[in-house]
Amino acid sequence: MSLLSVSGITKRFGGITANRDISFDVEAGELVGIIGPNGSGKSTLFEVISGFYRPDAGAVNLDRARLTGLSADHVCRLGVARTFQKLRPFSGLTVVDNVMVGALTRLHEVRHARARARELLDRVGLAEKADEYARTLSTGQRKRLELARALATEPRVLLLDEVTGGVDQRSIPGLVQLVRDLHRGGLTLLVVEHNMRVITAVAQRIVALYLGEKIADGAPDLVTRDRRVVEAYLGQAYVQ
Amino acid sequence: MRGTRPAVAFFALAALGPVLVRDPFLLDSLVLILLWGSTAAAWNVAGGYAGQVSLGHAAFFGLGAYSAALLGTKWGLSPWIGLLVGALLATVFGILLGFLSNRLRGPYFALATIAFSQVLLIVASRWRGFTSGSEGIPVPFRPGFWTLGITDKRVWVAIILVLAILVYLVELYLERSRRGFQLAAVREDEDAALSLGVPALWLKVAAIAASAALTAVAGALWAQYVGFVDPLYVFSVDLSVRFALAAILGGIGTALGPFLGAALILMLETYLRARFGGIGAGLVGIYLIIYGTALVVMMRFAPQGLVPWVGERFRRRPAAGSTS
Repeated sequence: MSLLSVSGITKRFGGITANRDISFDVEAGELVGIIGPNGSGKSTLFEVISGFYRPDAGAVNLDRARLTGLSADHVCRLGVARTFQKLRPFSGLTVVDNVMVGALTRLHEVRHARARARELLDRVGLAEKADEYARTLSTGQRKRLELARALATEPRVLLLDEVTGGVDQRSIPGLVQLVRDLHRGGLTLLVVEHNMRVITAVAQRIVALYLGEKIADGAPDLVTRDRRVVEAYLGQAYVQ
Repeated sequence: MRGTRPAVAFFALAALGPVLVRDPFLLDSLVLILLWGSTAAAWNVAGGYAGQVSLGHAAFFGLGAYSAALLGTKWGLSPWIGLLVGALLATVFGILLGFLSNRLRGPYFALATIAFSQVLLIVASRWRGFTSGSEGIPVPFRPGFWTLGITDKRVWVAIILVLAILVYLVELYLERSRRGFQLAAVREDEDAALSLGVPALWLKVAAIAASAALTAVAGALWAQYVGFVDPLYVFSVDLSVRFALAAILGGIGTALGPFLGAALILMLETYLRARFGGIGAGLVGIYLIIYGTALVVMMRFAPQGLVPWVGERFRRRPAAGSTS
């Protein structure tokens, strides 16, 4: 049985159907990418899986546990962590305290949680910023902070929303390497990404969305050559 | 984490007051500083640490005051029982308000709390058969500790000091514990906190309920100390603002700040009233104008409040790990 299974998710906002009957599975240890042009429903799907939106139909399951209908904090405690596309650090807290909040979900001793937070900051390369306020970090550093914070909750599946979005070109390779390392360490990842070059480099499998529907699902090289995917991204004219 | 040494000094000084001072006016001021400090610190539990800014906390203060006064006058019960009943009622209302705050954020929550205190004001001032309406209730003086009929102000200092330290310890818990850090995360960004598994709703409700209960305890003790409960005062927006103002002035989200803010406000008010209060018929209200101006000036130069302002002058580097 798959670790994360998304089945028949439909989400409407008024008259707009942001997700229509989307289904796919993520196996343990897999790194799956979700692609699609703006407005294709990637973010909505993300919010549904992480428990921030309630779908109108369908269900999300982690192992045997049903996530649909649970609150976002409950979903996280069951093992699904996420980052935000629009970064949301706790600006008024220090970097290490930011990560500690994640660690406190599993560790009940503040002392242990803080030690764990420092380890994770070391792992994402933010150790020397630990005692600064989160508001002083650059965008690239904030992405790393979000990663460390989400990892601190010891997720079984990590959802990443636009890891390289809004980051300057020089910071991208480092972030990509970080995601690769996490995957190599055995973590299951579901990654929403705009940057095609990034996603094809890291993902084992890609799910493509267009206008709220799943239009392709498979190996990166197959999906990126798929007629409907090319059409969705570039328009009719580019389809050979 | 900011040290507790200034707080220890503050409470030790307050405890020494009755030993060193005999002057009833000064002892009265000390009781009021500790009492208003406690209410401001209790407000801070919700408004500062949880970020749920209420402008209706007088509702809880009034619930405490009325519980103690009514149970005493109607059934002859001890004000200590009234205090517990008031705290319990405030907890229930606090929980309701906590759930409401999940729907209403920021200014909308503040408006809802004002409305809540106004509803209680109307109930208390109109329900003549039970509350004596807007005339208020004189609290009967029955000598003894169990009935809180105490004339010695030194004993009052001791009683209110216990409350003050209790509220301070609650604040300290919020600065150092797991739940406290989680609450700080909720205050900073609720969605991000949720995404990290923090039970945000539960924490906010608990913080508001605790804040309400502590405020009610202060109200019950105040009723016994002053000896008269007037609905137009205990449920007033003025009083709610006073709690919030003391906390903001002293340093919102700092444990000692509300006590210092309350002390400052009381001293300023007392001084200005004595100095300018009787200056002549045409200038009766002048002290209020000076008072308001002084507050504006303070907020201009120390917008974060007294404690952070002083803290910044003593050490340059921000203290790690503290929300204060």
